[in-house]
Amino acid sequence: MYWLERHQLDNLVKKLTESYELFGPRRDEVSGEIIFDRLSHPQQLDLKAPIPYNPPKYILFPHYEEILKYRYDRQSKKVVLGRVSHLKPKALVGLRSCDLTGILCLDRFFLGQEFVDEVYLEHRKKLFLISNTCVRPFPQCFCVCTDSGPSAREGFDLDLTRVGDRYLVEIGSKKGQSLAEELGLKKAGEEAAELKKKVVDESVSSFDAFALENKAWISRATNRLTTGFIKPEVWEYIGNQCFECGACSFVCPTCSCFNVEDVNRLDGATDRLRTWDSCSFEGYTKMAGDHNPRKPVEDRRNKRFFCKLSYSQSKKYLRPGCVGCGRCARVCPGDIGLPNVVTYIRREITGE
Amino acid sequence: MEGSLVPIVTVPEVATVVEIRDEIDEVKTFYFNFDRPEIEQAFKIRSGQFIMCTIFGAGEFAVSLPFSPENDRKHISVRRVGKVTAALHELQPGDKIGVRGPFGNGFPFEEIKGKNIIYVAGGIGLIPLRSSIVQVLQHRAEFGRVILVYGARSSRDLMYKESIREWKATENFETYFTIDRPEPDWSGEVGFVNQLVAKKLSLPADNTVAFVCGPPVMFNSVIKELKLKGIKEDHIYSTLERHMKCGLGKCQHCAIGRTLVCVDGPVYTYKQIKTLGEQI
Amino acid sequence: MSYHRGVCNFCGTGCGHLLQVEEGRVRGVYPLPGHPLSQGRLCVRGWHLHELLQTEERITTAFIRKNGELQQVSLAQALDYVTEKLKKIKGEEIAFLASPRASNEDNYLFGKLARAVMKSNNLSLASDAGQEASARVLLSGGSWPAATGSLARLKQADFILVAGGDLTKQNPIIASEIHRARRAGALVVTVSPRKTQMARLSQVHLRPAPGTFFLVFEGLTRILYEEKKIKADYLEKHTENFQAFFKKLDQVDLGEVVARTGLSREILTEVAQKFYQSKLTYAFYPTGVQSLGQRTMAALFNLMLLSGKLGQNEGGIIPVTGISNLLGSYDLGLSPAFLPGYLVASEEKNIQKLEELWQTPLSRKQGQSVSVCLTENESLRALVVVDHDEEIIRNVNRIKELELVVYFGAYHNNFASLAQVIIPRPSYAEAEGTFTNAERRVQLSRKKVDPPPEVRPLWKNLTELARALGHDWKYQSAEEIFSEIAKVVPQYSKLTYRQLESHLGIKWPCDEKHPQGTDYLQLPEAGSKFRFVLEENVRPQAQSIAEEKANFPFRLTVGRSNYFWHQNSLMKRTFIPKREYNALLLLYPKGFVEVSEEDALRLQLREKQPVRIVSESAEMTLAARISPDVLPGQLYIPYFIEEMIPEFLLRQAAELEKNEEFFLPVRLEKGG
Repeated sequence: MYWLERHQLDNLVKKLTESYELFGPRRDEVSGEIIFDRLSHPQQLDLKAPIPYNPPKYILFPHYEEILKYRYDRQSKKVVLGRVSHLKPKALVGLRSCDLTGILCLDRFFLGQEFVDEVYLEHRKKLFLISNTCVRPFPQCFCVCTDSGPSAREGFDLDLTRVGDRYLVEIGSKKGQSLAEELGLKKAGEEAAELKKKVVDESVSSFDAFALENKAWISRATNRLTTGFIKPEVWEYIGNQCFECGACSFVCPTCSCFNVEDVNRLDGATDRLRTWDSCSFEGYTKMAGDHNPRKPVEDRRNKRFFCKLSYSQSKKYLRPGCVGCGRCARVCPGDIGLPNVVTYIRREITGE
Repeated sequence: MEGSLVPIVTVPEVATVVEIRDEIDEVKTFYFNFDRPEIEQAFKIRSGQFIMCTIFGAGEFAVSLPFSPENDRKHISVRRVGKVTAALHELQPGDKIGVRGPFGNGFPFEEIKGKNIIYVAGGIGLIPLRSSIVQVLQHRAEFGRVILVYGARSSRDLMYKESIREWKATENFETYFTIDRPEPDWSGEVGFVNQLVAKKLSLPADNTVAFVCGPPVMFNSVIKELKLKGIKEDHIYSTLERHMKCGLGKCQHCAIGRTLVCVDGPVYTYKQIKTLGEQI
Repeated sequence: MSYHRGVCNFCGTGCGHLLQVEEGRVRGVYPLPGHPLSQGRLCVRGWHLHELLQTEERITTAFIRKNGELQQVSLAQALDYVTEKLKKIKGEEIAFLASPRASNEDNYLFGKLARAVMKSNNLSLASDAGQEASARVLLSGGSWPAATGSLARLKQADFILVAGGDLTKQNPIIASEIHRARRAGALVVTVSPRKTQMARLSQVHLRPAPGTFFLVFEGLTRILYEEKKIKADYLEKHTENFQAFFKKLDQVDLGEVVARTGLSREILTEVAQKFYQSKLTYAFYPTGVQSLGQRTMAALFNLMLLSGKLGQNEGGIIPVTGISNLLGSYDLGLSPAFLPGYLVASEEKNIQKLEELWQTPLSRKQGQSVSVCLTENESLRALVVVDHDEEIIRNVNRIKELELVVYFGAYHNNFASLAQVIIPRPSYAEAEGTFTNAERRVQLSRKKVDPPPEVRPLWKNLTELARALGHDWKYQSAEEIFSEIAKVVPQYSKLTYRQLESHLGIKWPCDEKHPQGTDYLQLPEAGSKFRFVLEENVRPQAQSIAEEKANFPFRLTVGRSNYFWHQNSLMKRTFIPKREYNALLLLYPKGFVEVSEEDALRLQLREKQPVRIVSESAEMTLAARISPDVLPGQLYIPYFIEEMIPEFLLRQAAELEKNEEFFLPVRLEKGG
C-alpha cells in the first residue's frame, strides 16, 4: 500500500484529466444531493460525499445508445452498415465498493458468458477505476449482507481509504501501479493494513441495524427464491404495490436488460438503438401475435428478484446479483425495494 | 455436423433475397444468399438453430431455420405478425436483408443416431422441425424408424407442400397428415394430431425420441399421448419461441426462470420445459 | 455527457429529474434526489422522457398551406403571413387555444396577445372543465383556487380520501406518496366505481354507482350532521353561511343516498366517523379529463369545512392536475372566466386594473371557450393553437371552414394537419421557463440543449407578432416576462428567477406577506370567512345524471391509464411506453370493453369475444375483456381507445370529456 497525501490528490486528478474524461461523485448545488457525473472541474470531485444517487452503470451501459448505423437504398439495393464509435477513455474516481462490484457483475455477464458483448467491451476497455472505501452508508444500504462492501477487494486500478486527512492507496492493476509511481507516492508501512481495517470496521458498525441483522435473512431469502418456495400470496402482495415504472432495474448497478429498436432518421439512415429496459414491464416478454408467457405483474416482480438473488443467476456473476446499494428501495414508488422484499419473505418464514 | 463458423455476432451480414414463395395464408418462405462469398461458404448451422434477421428500416427479429445443415437452400419461413415481419412480407426478390447468427443449441443429431424418431408438428410448428427432418432423411440409414405426424386446421394450412409431396414418396419414412375437418379432396387423416398419435403409433418406447412443435394446446395434448406410450420426458424435444432482442444471451428478453432461450435453447427436452416454471 | 437539473414535463406532479446531455442531445434521464415532492422517484413516463426528447419526428421549420399543401417557408414569412391576416380580424372573430404544457411565460404572452393585442377574450384550454370547476368551487368557498394543503406532511396523515380517477396511473408519484402514508399508518379511502390500483392500495374502497359521487359526499356530510359531529366553534368563528348549509343538509335523504350509490349506511357511517376523528386529513381528486363534477367537488369541500379541516394544518383538498402546467395556465388566466391571478373576468374593476398594467384598452365582451366558439360563434374566422396533444379533435368541419388556423407546436399531430400556418416550437428541454405543479409549486427549468436552427421560444414569436401588430413589446428573455407576471399575478408577486434558481420550486402565494411562499391555506383573516358552497353559487352540475332506460341497462364509463396518456400523441414517440401500449393492443387490436365476471357469465361472454356497444346515438364493436375490476351493470373502456373507435366516441366526446362521473347508458350485444 501507498500513502496519498492531500496535495497529491490534486496531482492524481490532474494526471487523470490529461488522458481521461473525469467522472466522480459531485454535489448538486440546489438539491444538495450527490450524483455520479462527468466533472467539468476537478474541484467538483467530492470524495467525502455519501453514496451517489445513481450508479456509474450508465457510463458503461448507456441509457440510450446507437449500436449500429445503416443505410439501405431500395432502388439500388445498396446497403452500407457499420458501427460508429468515438468513445473517449474515462476515469471513474471515488467508486463505492457496491458500484465497483456492480461493474464486475456486468463484466462477467457481458464478457464472461458464451458471447462477448462487443458494445459493452468497447466502453469497458477504456476505463480507469478508482474505488473509495465507503464510510457513509445510507439507512437503506446493506452491502455488508451481499459481500460487496464497504471496502473494495478487487477490480479497481487504485483503491483509496481515507485515514485522517490522507488516503491509503491499494494497487489493483499495472495501470494503477504505474500511476502510483508516476505520482511518487510513498510506500506505506506495516501499520497500513491495521489502519485500513479500523476504518472499515468503523464503517461496518455504522450500518443500520436492519442491514446487519438482515444478513442471515438475505441468504435464507436466496434459498427460498432459488427453490421457488415462496407463497404466491407474497408475490401478489408485492405485485399490487408495483407501479411498473421500471426504476428498480434502471437504478440497479447490475441490471442490464435492454431493448433494441431500429429508428429511421431524417437523413435516410437508420440507427439501431439499445435502450434500458426492465423485466417488470408487461410488454417486455410479449411476442408478436398474442402470446405473453409472463403476464401478471407479480410474475414479473418474481423474475427480477430471482435474477438478483437466486443461486442459478449468481453463477453468471460469480456472486449474488444484488450488491446491496439500497437504491431500488429509494426510487420505488411502491415500497418494494429489495430490502423490503427480503423482509416480506422473512415475515412469511417466521409468520410474524 | 457442427457449425464451424464463428457466428455473426454484432454487425449483420448482408444477404440477398433470391426467391419468395407463398406457403399458407400470411406465411411466406424467403430464400437468401449472403452477398459476401466467404460468408456464403462458411455459414454453417445445426438443425434447430435460429438467426436474427434484420429488415432494413424496420428492425430485427429472431427466426428459426427450416433448412438442413447440409445441401439445402438457405431460407426462412415467416408469418406476418408484427411491424417487422410485415416489412419482410413487402420485400421482393433482389432486396437485401441482414443476418446475424446462427444462434442457439439446436436439435440433437449425433446423439440420436440408431434411434427411432417421431416428429409431431402442428401448423407452422413444422418450420423448425423441417431442418431436422431433412437432415435425418439425408442420413436415413443411420436411424431406426422415422415417422412424421403433421396436422393443420385445413389442407390450406399445411406448410411446405412441396416437401410433403417428396416425403410421401420417400421410402422408409412413415408420414401421416391430418386436418381438423373433412374436406372433399382430402385423402389423409381427419382429426387432431394427438388423436392420431394415440391411434397409429406403436414403438419401442425406450429407443425412441420425439420432436414436438406446435401451438400450446396441441403441444400439451401430444405430450400426454407420448407419455402414455412410455416415451421418456427427456427423450421428447421441442423448441421454444420467445421475444428476443440480441440472440447473445444479453438482453434477457427471452429469460425463462434460470435459462435463456437464445443461448441455452431454443431446443429443450420436455423434462427441462416442465421445470422452467413458465408457460410454453 | 453530464446531468442537468430539470422538471418533468408530463403530468402535474412536476417531479424533479436530471437530464443527461451529451453533444447537444438529451441521452438519458434520472430522478433528482432531494426534490421535495418526488424525492428521487419517477414514473414510467418520466423515466422515458429522453426518448421523446430525442425523436426526430419534430416540427422544425415553419409551413404555410398553399392550395391545400403545406409548404416549407421561413419563420419570417410565416410570421408576416399571420400578421397580415390578423390585421384584418376583429377580437370576437378569433379564438385562442392554449396549452397546459407550455411554460408560464409562454402562456402569459399568449393570453396577453389574445386580450391586449387582438382584443379577444376567447381564450381557453381544451379538456379543462374539471380544473375550472375546481377553481370556482374553492374560490366560492373562500379558499384560494388550488391545493389548500401541503403534500410535505402527507406521510403523517391519518386520513386520506381519494375520489375518482386512478392516481397510480395519472400522477403515480403522488399516488406513491399516498401509499407511503398508508404504510405509515394513514387510513386511505378510495371512491371509485372501478377497482383501480389506487383502490387496491387502499384499506377502504367505496364503489358508488357511476354518476353518484356527489351523493357519497353529501351522505357523509349528512351523517356527521345527524350525529352532531360538527366543529361548532370552528363554524362559528371561520364560516359565514353554516346555517343555510344546515338547512340544505336537512333535505339530504340518506335512504336515497344508500339506494342510489349502492353503498351501505354502515360503511358510510364508519368512514364518516373515521374522517371526523382524523387530525391530518387530505382529500384528492383529479382535475382534467377524469375529474369530478362541480356538485361533487362542492360536496367534498363542504364535508371538509363542516369538520373544520380547512385552514388548520397541512391537510386539505388537493385537486390533482394531469398535465404539467395546467394549474399555471389557470394562474395566468387562460380561461374566459378568469384574468391572470384569478380575477373574475367579468368585473369592470379587474379589467381596468389590467388595462393599467398593460397600458392598453381591453375588450369588455364576455369571452367564450374555444369549444363554445367553434359550436356557437358564427362570426369566428380564426383560431390560434399551441401544442394540441389530443388526437381527437372536435368540430373538425368548423375548423376547416376557418380562414386562419395557426398552430404553434413541437410535434406533428392531427391538429397540425388542419393548420394553414405551422410555426415550430422548442421541446421542453430547448427553452427555459417556469411550470406550476398541482401543489402550487412554481419551478424553473433551464434550457438544456439548443433547439433546431429555425426554432425559437414561443414567447419570442409572440413578441414579434405583437410588435408587427403595433404593440411595442420589448421582451428579451423569459425572465423578463416572468418579472412582469410577478407584477400582474398577485400570487406570484415576490417570485423571481433568482429565487427560483436556488430552490426546487416555491409554492404560491409568494407575496409581501409570504416572501418564501406558502405551504398551506391559513384560516381567513379578520373580516373574511370560509363559506359553504351552496348550489346557488356554483354552476349546475355540468351533466345531470343521464336517465336510465330499460333498453340501455349498462353504465359505460371511460378512464385513462399511464401508457395511454394523452391519446399517445406524445407516448407514441417513445419506445418503451409505446411498446407497453402496443402490448395491450396486441391482445385487443380492435379495442376492448371491460365487463364484470358476473355479467360475462350471465350473458355467456367469452374473453375477447366481439361485442357491440349500443348507445342512443351510436354504436361500436370491440372485444370483451372480462375483468374483476368492474362491477356488474357497469362497462369500462380506456380513453385511449378513441384512436381505434373514433366514430363512437366522437359523437359523444363532449359528454365523455366532461368528467369521470359521466357515464353513458348503453346496451351490450354479442357478435360483431
